[in-house]
Amino acid sequence: MKPSLRFALAALLVCLAQTAALAYMVLGRAAILRSGETVMLRTAPVDPRDLLRGDYVILSYDVSTVPASAISGAWPKEEGRQSLWVRLVKGADGVSTVSEAAFQPLPALAGSVVAKSLPFDYWPSDTKSDQRVSYGIERYYVPEGEGRALETARDSETLTVAVSVGGDGTAQLRALYRDGTMVYEEPLF
Amino acid sequence: MYRGRLERDLAIWVGKGLIERPQADALLAEYDGRESSFSVGRALMMIAACLIAAALLLLVASNWEAIPRLMRVVLLLASIWLFHGAAAWLLANGRRGLAQSALMLGTASFGASLSLIGQMYHLSGDLADMLVVWFAFTVLTAVAFRSGAASFLCGFLAWAYFIDLVSDTPFDWSSLPGVLVPGMAAVLIGLVYYTGAARLRHLAYLLLLGWIVWSLAVEESTRAAALLAVVGAIGFLLCTLPASPLSAVAKRAGAAPAFYAFVAFLIGIGGLHMEFDDAGGRLGIGVVTMAASVGAIMLAGRDNGAVRYLAYIAFALEILYLAAETVGSILGTSGLFLVSGLVVALAAWVVIALERRMVAVTPGGVQ
Repeated sequence: MKPSLRFALAALLVCLAQTAALAYMVLGRAAILRSGETVMLRTAPVDPRDLLRGDYVILSYDVSTVPASAISGAWPKEEGRQSLWVRLVKGADGVSTVSEAAFQPLPALAGSVVAKSLPFDYWPSDTKSDQRVSYGIERYYVPEGEGRALETARDSETLTVAVSVGGDGTAQLRALYRDGTMVYEEPLF
Repeated sequence: MYRGRLERDLAIWVGKGLIERPQADALLAEYDGRESSFSVGRALMMIAACLIAAALLLLVASNWEAIPRLMRVVLLLASIWLFHGAAAWLLANGRRGLAQSALMLGTASFGASLSLIGQMYHLSGDLADMLVVWFAFTVLTAVAFRSGAASFLCGFLAWAYFIDLVSDTPFDWSSLPGVLVPGMAAVLIGLVYYTGAARLRHLAYLLLLGWIVWSLAVEESTRAAALLAVVGAIGFLLCTLPASPLSAVAKRAGAAPAFYAFVAFLIGIGGLHMEFDDAGGRLGIGVVTMAASVGAIMLAGRDNGAVRYLAYIAFALEILYLAAETVGSILGTSGLFLVSGLVVALAAWVVIALERRMVAVTPGGVQ
């Protein structure tokens, strides 16, 4: 093979692979935004910075703590990486809360959305304790300098987010509300 | 470095009339013409590429709203294609140095795209996940282009991943991240052979060593330290014993394999020093350390300057340690050093006698 052809093929291969990987990530997330079910969650932010992705606010949710009493089904016997499937049901104020959870997939039910937590380290103990979980929606990236404003909002106003939940339980942030007014909304792309 | 030494040695050989001036100049010119030899222009170009790459990454991190989001995605994708295309064109036209800079920028564009997607969809996943993906695709670039610069980027990404892992996860043998680090080191060593980026070897070995130390620090057991010392010693012997099947491969890889195996041994022994802190323990560990240092000098000291100096340092530190802590009493320690000195002197006498005989029986050896 001529060297110039070899290098052109190398460039083509690398570019196609990188583009495909990036497109896969974008389309996967866009699909959740487009067709996932939306739930509203109450949250409170703090404002750190990430070297590569910039300023963000850390969002912690009421639904991040799953009470032991809400967990049905069998608990794992051994330590290891576990996920919780969490059923979210909309309350009277439009904000969703945990209605039940399990270490196994939960069946779909009308009027509720099942979100799957990220895997976490689980250690079995004699007393069943509340579980802290995350859903991969704990960071909200904002333009440089704007995180502080959201952080100050925490004390005086209520912050809620709209979250899209895909068919497999993957959660994706959709929009951010301050006292009920939308301040950021995510386009598909 | 090597070029300076080569130039001095050539001048000496010319002075002694061993070779002619034109020959010396030709040898030096051959060395300067090699791909790996240093060129100020190439180095500056690479530094410029690093700065531009950092600018690109931070531009994404600033989340600057003057450029619409979709536009950012399109621009980054375009720069991926542009830089890799430019690299292919430059390589086809024999501009290898510039091509490396283009590949570096292409790789940075991909990393910036990953960051941008994380930012766009607020993926709260760790930096670690992103670094693994970035590493994997940079390996692809390094292999596809046989690129030394991309191989080095793989080395830095592997290190970034490791540092991120150490800073926020407890070590766990059973978890994937724990196993991924030595896997990355293995991939890096593969790249050393495939792309000829010889110095990347150090990043790979250091990564492996760092991972071992990390796992030991978490285990904190005597068994783990002893295991490391034994594994390091076996590795060192495999690299240096002429009878070992690996010694030929290790020799071709230069001083590094034996050196890092010896470092692993010393770290293990260092850990054992803390465990065995009574008189008997110090005596045992002290004798093992001194004997190992002397053994390393005898086995590899002639060809491997790095091992030689490390062994000198280990030996000196061990003596200082024993003298300061003492084995039982000052008098006892003095006795230990006396016996050790006599043993080493005996060894020296045997070695000198053997060397004399070797020179005498080698045909053409200087009598």
